[in-house]
Amino acid sequence: MEEHVLVCENSIDGILTGIYEAYQYKKEHGIESHDWMHLAVKEPEIGRLFTCYTRVDTDAEKAEKVSRTIKRELGEAVFYDLCLAMTSADEQKADAVYHTVVIGLKHHDRDVLARLREPAVQKAFACRRGAGNELHHYREFLRFAELESGILYAKIGARDHILPFLMPHFADRLPADNFVIYDELSGVFGLHPQYRQWYLVSGADFDEESLVFSSAEAVYSELFTRFCKSIAIESRTNPRLQMNMLPLRFRKYMVEFE
Amino acid sequence: MQSERVQDFPAIKGLPLAEEAVPYNRDSGGVETFMKDRQSVMEKLEILSDAAKYDVACTSSGVDRKGNGRDMGNCLAAGICHSFSADGRCISLLKILLSNECIYDCKYCLNRRSNDVPRATFTPDEVCELTMNFYRRNYIEGLFLSSGIVNNPNYTMELIYATLYKLRNVYRFRGYVHVKGIPGADAALIQKTGYLADRMSVNLELPTAEGLSRLAPNKHRKNILTPMRQIQNGIAQGKQELAVYRNAPSFVPAGQSTQMIIGATPESDYQVMAVAQGLYDSFQLKRVFYSAYVGVNDDKALPARGTATPLLREHRLYQADWLLRFYHFRVEELLDEKRPNFNVLLDPKCDWALKHLEQFPVEINRADYHTLLRVPGIGVKSAQRICGARRSGALTFEHLKKLGVVLKRALYFITCSGRMMYRTKLDEDYITRNLLSLHEKLPFDKDGMTYRQLTLFDDSESNVSLFG
Repeated sequence: MEEHVLVCENSIDGILTGIYEAYQYKKEHGIESHDWMHLAVKEPEIGRLFTCYTRVDTDAEKAEKVSRTIKRELGEAVFYDLCLAMTSADEQKADAVYHTVVIGLKHHDRDVLARLREPAVQKAFACRRGAGNELHHYREFLRFAELESGILYAKIGARDHILPFLMPHFADRLPADNFVIYDELSGVFGLHPQYRQWYLVSGADFDEESLVFSSAEAVYSELFTRFCKSIAIESRTNPRLQMNMLPLRFRKYMVEFE
Repeated sequence: MQSERVQDFPAIKGLPLAEEAVPYNRDSGGVETFMKDRQSVMEKLEILSDAAKYDVACTSSGVDRKGNGRDMGNCLAAGICHSFSADGRCISLLKILLSNECIYDCKYCLNRRSNDVPRATFTPDEVCELTMNFYRRNYIEGLFLSSGIVNNPNYTMELIYATLYKLRNVYRFRGYVHVKGIPGADAALIQKTGYLADRMSVNLELPTAEGLSRLAPNKHRKNILTPMRQIQNGIAQGKQELAVYRNAPSFVPAGQSTQMIIGATPESDYQVMAVAQGLYDSFQLKRVFYSAYVGVNDDKALPARGTATPLLREHRLYQADWLLRFYHFRVEELLDEKRPNFNVLLDPKCDWALKHLEQFPVEINRADYHTLLRVPGIGVKSAQRICGARRSGALTFEHLKKLGVVLKRALYFITCSGRMMYRTKLDEDYITRNLLSLHEKLPFDKDGMTYRQLTLFDDSESNVSLFG
């Protein structure tokens, strides 16, 4: 039996479109079961035998249809979890989310992510957990610096593309601030103008070297750095524990470790 | 997601928001004044954070408060850590004393009257500016404000209240605030401070009244328990009012906590945990913190300076505390008069299970949630996942591994569809030997703490001998 792989764009909309096309493809080609169908975000360098690859172009309308169905049939909470899973760096996420949706719709189960006996759900769950952890780490460890203009600027390097989930968190707590979060790994900027809706921008022509920080910035970063030193209890010094809680990869973005 | 589709943004040269930018606090000129006193604020911060560091609570959890679209700050129920200091402890709040000019002379305390240490006092504006500017840069989740006793308890509580009032009403800060209730302060002062704070704590300091009177001659158990009771009643009353009037101001919505110092006085683990359980039961505390004693003063009433900090003991107490709060254990099940201290070699849950082998093995596909919680290697999350996953069919050991169950510990205590994972014996010595060979992961070792030091100083009996 031949397997069918749809290759979609590596984005939430891309994967949602992929799910739409997979259902369509299954019907058109009279394929018996979703088990013979897979969704990937990347074409493999060496294609497998007896496998048919098809590219899927992202279509906002189709993506919207799928997200409406998921929200209606499986609930907002499941939709949120699946979106978070779709930001994962794991390339198997698309297939996992696709088959989790299939299982959820088949059983009309609004608690489909609890079905951890199913390998697809296990994978989607793991992707969601990984991305959720990354998101939480950046809620913790992101550092804003104030520019001369009063804008707050932060740089991150997120393993999973969680910026769309990070923006609402900071928009809620800093409504009066203009702020920018730049994810240097994906090249995407999150922008929040004061008292207005945030948005994302990619491919911007941006020169980090040209940023000028405010005069208060040096004062507060030094105050905080000294605070972090003086708050530690010497007789309990424990770099291993510190490393477990705050891995090195985050520290290059953190003012107290500069 | 919808925002990803915004197409018509201005082309970015540098940054697109420049013309809209409004510098923070431009009318108050706060930053300017602050800069002039830069040196002194820097010094004060060092002195007053150094003086506050032995207070262990740094959590920002317990309250969910959305932003209001205008003022700075919100709160997440889970709390957020923002950094970790060199001792591996979380930095969530700006933890400072308002002042370390203390009139008391508690023997264990760095800030006691008789110590010759640098003294400093913050002004309310300094505290507010630091909090706002740290918060805005995502350095912290909020403020933890404590203080030495300046002049008298009422004066001190009044200072704390004035600072919080300013932070909430002038600076309009909506982030997390943890504040100390000062024992001996007027009930009315504690009451109005509670409406500005998210969490309040009154430190028990030492597990028993006897230890307290010996090491903190100016403090009395009764003075500590009175505000604790008052806060408890305030929280209960506040909940009722909230149920009736939706917009009633909330009183200490994130609940109350306390801490006790472990290892400065000779109490057993059983005594300590019994006190903690009493506090959870009758004072409805959210958290009890245990602070391994760190010697900072030379005093004949204290263990010698340089005595190793009893980290393993503190760790075991926290593990047991978790068992009380999330695993429905009672202290009497874990310890008793005859066995008043935790096993240094095994965590309290394994230790309990080995003493109650008659309740095992547990069948994963049938046991209720509370029974699952008692199995070593199964935590709150994995127990919940088991209950969710088995609804659609029987679970195997392979499934359990994926659910996050620590099988190398759990395998002695469970069956899946009637089978054990391997052929094992339900025998205390056999399982103990196997569990010990797993080498429990402790948050410390390798850092100069040898096993010998731990046993010697963890044992309250050896502390007795230290006290003579």
